[in-house]
Amino acid sequence: MIRVDSLTKKYGDFTAVDDVSFTCQSGRVTGFLGPNGAGKTTTMRVMVGLTPATTGEVSIGGHRYRDIPNPGRHVGVLLDASAQHAGRTGREVLALGAKLMGLPTSRVDEMLELVSLSDIESRRRLRNYSLGMRQRLGIAHALLGAPSVLILDEPANGLDPAGIRWMRGLLKGYADRGGTVLLSSHLLNEVEMVADEMILIGHGKIVASGTKQELLAGRGSGATHVTTLDTPGLITALEAAGHEVSTAGDGLRVEAEPVQVGQVAADTRIVLTDLRAAEGGLENLFLELTADTQREGLTREGVAS
Amino acid sequence: MSAVAAHHQPTIDIDSTEQVPFGRLVSVELRKMWDTRAGMWLLIVTGALLALALGITLLVVALNDDVQLSSTGLSQVMIAPVSLLVPVLAITSITSEWSQRTGLVSFTLEPHRMRVIAAKLVTVVILAIVTILLAIGFGAIGTVLAAAISGNDPVWNLGVGQLAWLIVNQLAYFVMAFVFGLVFLSTPAAIAVYYIIAMLLPFMVYGTLYAFFDWAQNVIPWVDLGFAMAPYMTPEMDTSATTLMQVVVAVLLWVVLPGVIGMRRVKRAELK
Repeated sequence: MIRVDSLTKKYGDFTAVDDVSFTCQSGRVTGFLGPNGAGKTTTMRVMVGLTPATTGEVSIGGHRYRDIPNPGRHVGVLLDASAQHAGRTGREVLALGAKLMGLPTSRVDEMLELVSLSDIESRRRLRNYSLGMRQRLGIAHALLGAPSVLILDEPANGLDPAGIRWMRGLLKGYADRGGTVLLSSHLLNEVEMVADEMILIGHGKIVASGTKQELLAGRGSGATHVTTLDTPGLITALEAAGHEVSTAGDGLRVEAEPVQVGQVAADTRIVLTDLRAAEGGLENLFLELTADTQREGLTREGVAS
Repeated sequence: MSAVAAHHQPTIDIDSTEQVPFGRLVSVELRKMWDTRAGMWLLIVTGALLALALGITLLVVALNDDVQLSSTGLSQVMIAPVSLLVPVLAITSITSEWSQRTGLVSFTLEPHRMRVIAAKLVTVVILAIVTILLAIGFGAIGTVLAAAISGNDPVWNLGVGQLAWLIVNQLAYFVMAFVFGLVFLSTPAAIAVYYIIAMLLPFMVYGTLYAFFDWAQNVIPWVDLGFAMAPYMTPEMDTSATTLMQVVVAVLLWVVLPGVIGMRRVKRAELK
């Protein structure tokens, strides 16, 4: 539904987006992940024509964005929830959008209810809104025209945990009804639970993409984390079986596959309370893939473990 | 299920969607002029200034027996308050899209930027015409009241041609404010430059030069909108081909040229 084709955006010598290609399928939530300054926002701005691309193309539903008539009816966009006039009320912001798109004013109340902004809150001016309220208003604005594609830049930013859970449900339901969702974040855990597919970007380049399983596949470190009721007993048994063992927190890290560790435990009738592959998770993958672009060198320590 | 169906037709059907009609863009832009607190207060203050100007003028008429005001004179007095602050709305209609960053939304909902700019220009034209008619309406009320207070017959000397030129004059200044907004894309810069060129220079500098130097009398009407149009603002209409050329040159210099520069800038500007 969204197709980004060899997109490059240069500012003088600086390349903000470097030959980026990916697609977002309908019926799926695509997470666009990367540290701050990685090129996510620039890519999204190019998508909707706010920033001209240096080279490359983006099409949404087979069209260039500027060729879509009344685009608010087809593509819902939230690029920056704070980019609204501070002196306008929340309700007025939605009313203007509805008027422009040619929607009935009843749509404004529907959207306010959907994002749980009360009547009193909607009549306040935006300068008095918290970031979370602005995000809710921005999501309401993006959904106004009942679009089939959603492009959201950092929509979870400023939402409280309950709000993040709410948004997750909202986007999941939207995709389940056949919609296309692209949402960006610099925080992995915001995206991990909702995204069917993930695109990792660092330094303007795509460093990895795919489903969570695909991303983690082949990244098994061959090590296992295990906790047991009989730690000394298990250490003895594992070492006897020729495995390297070290303590890790209140458990053990074993340089062997989980099945081998489980076999040793079963043979020696030792009770295990937890057994899993020490894959390091998506978090480590994310940090590792984007390590070059991190501002802080200290993240490398996290990656090394 | 729906996801599978959607895979087969990964396109958006745009045939049944109309482009946003231009009239709708205009009405949205008109609404944006007064739906903020700043816009609302600007119009309220302008209304108050208008009433104040009328009150003071009538007071002068009432206190001085030898003062008699024609409808032309009164209309010109009334135009001052509506010309003072309202051009700010013409400027901010453009610049607030950048300073408040609402352009991110405006130019996403209508990616053809020149349509948005054209709609804004139409609202500025409407604003200029409405303010002039308001000023002339107040002027007419003032003419009747002043005549009643002084006991003279009201003097109705505002001709159609002159009325047309009052509107042209107001339009020129409002559109100048508007295109300065396009050129600078910054509220303080556009407002400062506008007031320097539209008010400060003509009153503080040009007026003095014009009074004392011959060369200034030859040059200034070519480079200042107010001096260029001055011959058309009086009932006598002491005009010639030269005065018309002066109007054309001044409009080219302060409206058309910055307009072209500003539109090019907006067309290419990146919204962040």
